[in-house]
Amino acid sequence: MPRGRPLLLEVLTALGLVLVPFVLPYVGFAPGTVNQILVWGLFGIGFDILFGYTGLLSFGQSAFFGTGGFVAAYLLTNNLMTSVLLALVIGTLGAMLAGVLVGMIALRRTGIYFAMITVAIAETFFFVENSPLSALTGGENGLPGVPTPHFVLGGFSYQVQNGWSMYGFLAACYFIGMVVALRIMRSPVGAVLIAIRDNPLRARAVGHAVGAYKLAAFVIAAAYAGFAGGLLGVLQGFMPPDAFTFATSGQLVMQTAIGGMGTLYGPLLGAVVWLYLRDFLQEVVGLGSTWKLVLGLVFVLLVCFLRRGIIGGLQDLAARLTAKPHPPAPEESAPIAEVAPPLASLGPSPRHAHAQEPGAIVLEARGITKAYGGIVANRDINVSVTAGELRGVIGPNGAGKSTFFKMLTCEVPPTSGRILFEGRDITGYDVSRVCQLGLTKSYQVNQLFPRLTLRHNIMIAALAERRGRFRLDLLRRAERVPGLALQTEQTLALIGLTARADVPVAELAYGEKRRLEIGLALASSPRLLLLDEPLAGMSPRERRETVQLLKNIRRGRTLVVVEHDMDAVFELAERITVLHEGTVLAEGTPAEIQRSSLVQEAYLGGVAAE
Amino acid sequence: MITWPNFVSQLFNGLATGALLALISSGLTIIYGTLGVLNLAHGAMFMLGGYAGYVAFQATGSFVVAVIAGALFLVVVGAALERVVIRRFYDRPPEDQILLTFGIGIVMVELVRFGFGSLSVSVPPPAWAAGVTPMGFLIYPTYRIVVLGIAAVALGTLYIVLYRTRLGLMVRAGIEDSGMVGMLGINVYRVFMMVFGIGAMAAGFAGIVNAPVVSLTPDIGDSILVQTFVVVVIGGVGSFPGAILGGLISGEILSLTSMVDPAYSQVMLFVVMTLVLLLRPQGLLGQRGRA
Amino acid sequence: MERLVSGAPTRRTLLNTGAGLVAAATLPGFLAHGALAAETYPPIGTYPAGSAGDSVFIGISVPRTGTYAVQGEDELKGYLLAIEHINAGDPLIKKISPRTTKGVLGKQLKYGVADSEAKPNTAVQAQSRFISEDKAVLFTGSTSSAVAVALNKLAQREKVVYVTGISGSNDTTGKDCVRYGFRQCFYGQTAAAALAPVLLKTIGRNKKAAYLTPDYTYGHTVQHSMEEFLKREGGWTTVTNQVAPLGAPDYSSYLLNIANSGAEVLLNVNWGHDAVLSIQQAKQFGILAKQQLVIPYQIPFLSKEVGADVMAGVLAATDFWWTLQDKYPLARMFVEAFDKKYGYKPEWGAENAYMSFAMWAEAVERAGTFYPPAVIKAFEAGQHIDSMVGEVWMRAADHQLVRPVVIVRGKKPSAMASPDDFWEVLEVVPGEGLMQKPDAFGCKLGDYT
Repeated sequence: MPRGRPLLLEVLTALGLVLVPFVLPYVGFAPGTVNQILVWGLFGIGFDILFGYTGLLSFGQSAFFGTGGFVAAYLLTNNLMTSVLLALVIGTLGAMLAGVLVGMIALRRTGIYFAMITVAIAETFFFVENSPLSALTGGENGLPGVPTPHFVLGGFSYQVQNGWSMYGFLAACYFIGMVVALRIMRSPVGAVLIAIRDNPLRARAVGHAVGAYKLAAFVIAAAYAGFAGGLLGVLQGFMPPDAFTFATSGQLVMQTAIGGMGTLYGPLLGAVVWLYLRDFLQEVVGLGSTWKLVLGLVFVLLVCFLRRGIIGGLQDLAARLTAKPHPPAPEESAPIAEVAPPLASLGPSPRHAHAQEPGAIVLEARGITKAYGGIVANRDINVSVTAGELRGVIGPNGAGKSTFFKMLTCEVPPTSGRILFEGRDITGYDVSRVCQLGLTKSYQVNQLFPRLTLRHNIMIAALAERRGRFRLDLLRRAERVPGLALQTEQTLALIGLTARADVPVAELAYGEKRRLEIGLALASSPRLLLLDEPLAGMSPRERRETVQLLKNIRRGRTLVVVEHDMDAVFELAERITVLHEGTVLAEGTPAEIQRSSLVQEAYLGGVAAE
Repeated sequence: MITWPNFVSQLFNGLATGALLALISSGLTIIYGTLGVLNLAHGAMFMLGGYAGYVAFQATGSFVVAVIAGALFLVVVGAALERVVIRRFYDRPPEDQILLTFGIGIVMVELVRFGFGSLSVSVPPPAWAAGVTPMGFLIYPTYRIVVLGIAAVALGTLYIVLYRTRLGLMVRAGIEDSGMVGMLGINVYRVFMMVFGIGAMAAGFAGIVNAPVVSLTPDIGDSILVQTFVVVVIGGVGSFPGAILGGLISGEILSLTSMVDPAYSQVMLFVVMTLVLLLRPQGLLGQRGRA
Repeated sequence: MERLVSGAPTRRTLLNTGAGLVAAATLPGFLAHGALAAETYPPIGTYPAGSAGDSVFIGISVPRTGTYAVQGEDELKGYLLAIEHINAGDPLIKKISPRTTKGVLGKQLKYGVADSEAKPNTAVQAQSRFISEDKAVLFTGSTSSAVAVALNKLAQREKVVYVTGISGSNDTTGKDCVRYGFRQCFYGQTAAAALAPVLLKTIGRNKKAAYLTPDYTYGHTVQHSMEEFLKREGGWTTVTNQVAPLGAPDYSSYLLNIANSGAEVLLNVNWGHDAVLSIQQAKQFGILAKQQLVIPYQIPFLSKEVGADVMAGVLAATDFWWTLQDKYPLARMFVEAFDKKYGYKPEWGAENAYMSFAMWAEAVERAGTFYPPAVIKAFEAGQHIDSMVGEVWMRAADHQLVRPVVIVRGKKPSAMASPDDFWEVLEVVPGEGLMQKPDAFGCKLGDYT
């Protein structure tokens, strides 16, 4: 998320764009080259949001670049429209529409699959432009005769010319594009996108509709591509068909990687490097066709040694030079207060609207069974949890506790049986929806957002609760979401990590990470919280503190805890369910369980043997 | 132009085209399945195998030597790349690996252009496989029938290596669960290096075997790369049988649809791929939950 | 790999238009034509800034990477030889442009070369830079009609003269023609008009033809022109038209359709490496043994890449073949000079490139100024000029050179006198009778200013 003083980046961008015509010509940049750079830079902003921030590497951006460009150029060259700006907007909308359609197919898969699919789809777009639609698009000749914009402002009329006049127009477009992008990345949506890049699984588990956000990022990227494509036509005076080729997508990817991913400015800098070096190597060094070899090598070296590109490298350098070391991880993590901070002052939250009546059944598993192929992990489990209860779930290794938990939070669907939460049948729901209803879990193996600070981590979870599964508040500042700051602070206080709030997660001590793991679940204000081995791997002191933490957070909540630490479970839990070989072996108060010969035989004996 | 003889001809041609696609794609899919690296330099490796074979052929005049040289050269290139560069990228996000191999592919193409120029070069088929063979329903180039045979044998050999040897066991263990190789107490890196070498070899071998069919230019791998993507997506990324099935299906699509409207035959590949994605996102023989 | 940086191009980055204007206006008139003209003509395009100094700049963009790199490099060599000859006042140039002494209007030619990657976008970008930074007075280079058309439009917009490189589409001087663009080479329409009678004579009438057509406008127009002529003049029928995408990695399925179509003649419209590959594979499928192969537009280096054995007996139309040196003295001078400098016999791309610069130099000398409208009018005067294929002249109405089309047939390897002796010239068909009416393809040239 771009940080720093508000509007500082915007002002610097404007300043830079104004200075360019006075500086760059003296180092050998032609206005035509600068204008090309701006188009690539604008094209790249969207791609950076998609790749650098959301983590989706698309090799098919040419499809939208071409679509936007050809729609705008078609409207203008066929005199269906005289306003260049309006044509650009319609072209952008066309690209967004294409983005929605392509995204719905391509986003069915992630990572490498996604990259390959985008390549194939972009090839299809190129084919369609070149062949079936060649009567409209001019085939390989493209569409010549795209006019330059003409502005009329109260009697004053201005026709944009090529060269620096065109630069003014493009720079204005770039500036607007950058301002919007900065707003998007400072908005809650931007925060969620970054969270998706870091850990899509957890982003979903804390209640964000990850698929919808990815599609949003994809369409935003398509919009930038389409707009830039339209500008390319305006700049060149004709719309070139090679906008649609794989080479266009490839060049965009390389420029972004060279300049720096996840910086918004990276693609612009990458285009500067690429276009300047291309001219320089050919004209001054006289390399002829070898220029591409040299640029290819430069690219490979950058990917190897400067993984965050030039801007990323500079940021790292600056950080190293001006580094104020974070307070080192304390020898012992801050103690957990005996009394939990009050929660009453929290803003209105839909989840607190109807508090649970004491004694009512909150969660009910009715005969759930899970089979993986021929292996049955859980068989016909019936469990119900009442409001305000702290339920312990124990069982020897392989008893099926993890699968059971995963079914309760809808991470895996049961093969048969139903799951009811507060009377509602949630079987087959998406994890994010279940979380939005007020049921979430903390993981046995930490699922954090490792590249963000502790505070940001908590914020991501709190945002889901404050904003719901999906909302496109692209222009609102994330910090201005009502109640968000308070909720974040309270959660931090609850897990006792307020002093460490601005430390990146990667630098936290293990015990702190475990607490944050619980904090992430807490921050979405669940009424029912499942904790999967919250004490795993902790030192005795950390265990004591975490037990205290659990005692604190159970006020106003219903808790289900899977734990190996018997002492802790017997200390905390009011009722205990014992799983054995995928079925419920016994259920009762700690005293009853301790007395149960069945349990002793099957389980406690097993522990002794371990 | 749908006539019975033409249909049979195209059916056979689809098989021949598909076998070669399957061979190239199997390399891509083995590397991805084991190492989790999508090798965007695979098309360039295909091209490089052809050129390596060309050089050997120029020096010795023997086609067999050319094929061996093309395959061996790519084993070395693949293993060396893995050892020197790719290995540093296992801990980095998959996107970094894609960028890296994309860049390496460009460097390979431009290096060959630098060394050999852009004028295409050819390797003739061996004398015994030159000419055409009348097959009743059609006349087919003898060498293409040989290619079909070679591809089948090569795929069979790969199958044996993957399913009947210890190395294959490790590779498949890696495909199923990348953590497992380490648990088997094997030197994981050595396996990875070998796998990358084998995968590169599949591309290089296909490149030189295919060289008498096409003439070689530095850019020859570009369009092949996109087709191999389609093949593995249809078959299931990381699945060796999937690559074979996907290859054959793609070959048949290219051939059979050309009878109806040749202009659309390439794009039909993408249409079928999209359909597969919609109906069976993991690919025909892919495992759910991968990728 | 050759590095072509002799006579390193200069960049006059600091010389902006304003400074150029001042310089041009205040220079004493010691260069009679140029300086005089500078005072009498209004500024337009890069004039007068581009010709204010003692040299003028030419922008060249050819593909040096990608599919058409081979043809691009050949073309580039032709341009460079022309520049060398013009600057030195070589006898060959003086034959084409009698007024030339050294340079053009006494000014030396400088140039910049950019790799267009055969992409219109890259070419336009490179040439825009040459125009704005180096004040190019002329630009050139294309190996495909897509690039030529794009640069045509750039020329008209920037008011700088453009001479087309390789471009065989009817559109370049048809519906996409411009006042500022000129084309040397022939095109689909004239290829068909010249080739068809020869085909009817050598192959016969009422034949069944199969076409292999690349799926883009150039391919479709050439295919269409051929089909129409052969149908009308010779009663040929088309049994199949196999449309393949550009850069197809394999032609087997298309060729099988052709093999099974019962065609007697195969007309292959593909270009560049696509042509090489499709012809080689047609040979592998045994098609060439049964069907006569015709190449409506010969591709530089085709025979070298495909092999003489495959090309034997193949009929093609081309702009130039080096053995024409036996017929035309200028061709001999050109072939010898080129062979001496580059070590191989020039292909038509190089010839076309050389002639286009030579003709521009001739027009400028005749105009006595670099003022573009005057240069264009000098072109349009239709002056008959001696070239490597006899007399040629520019048609004023569509800026298409009226020039002969050379019909060639591939020689058997045993009949080749030298390793470069691939083609036998069958006929040199005069251009006048081949061309359509200037407005038949919708050409509207546009304004001078």
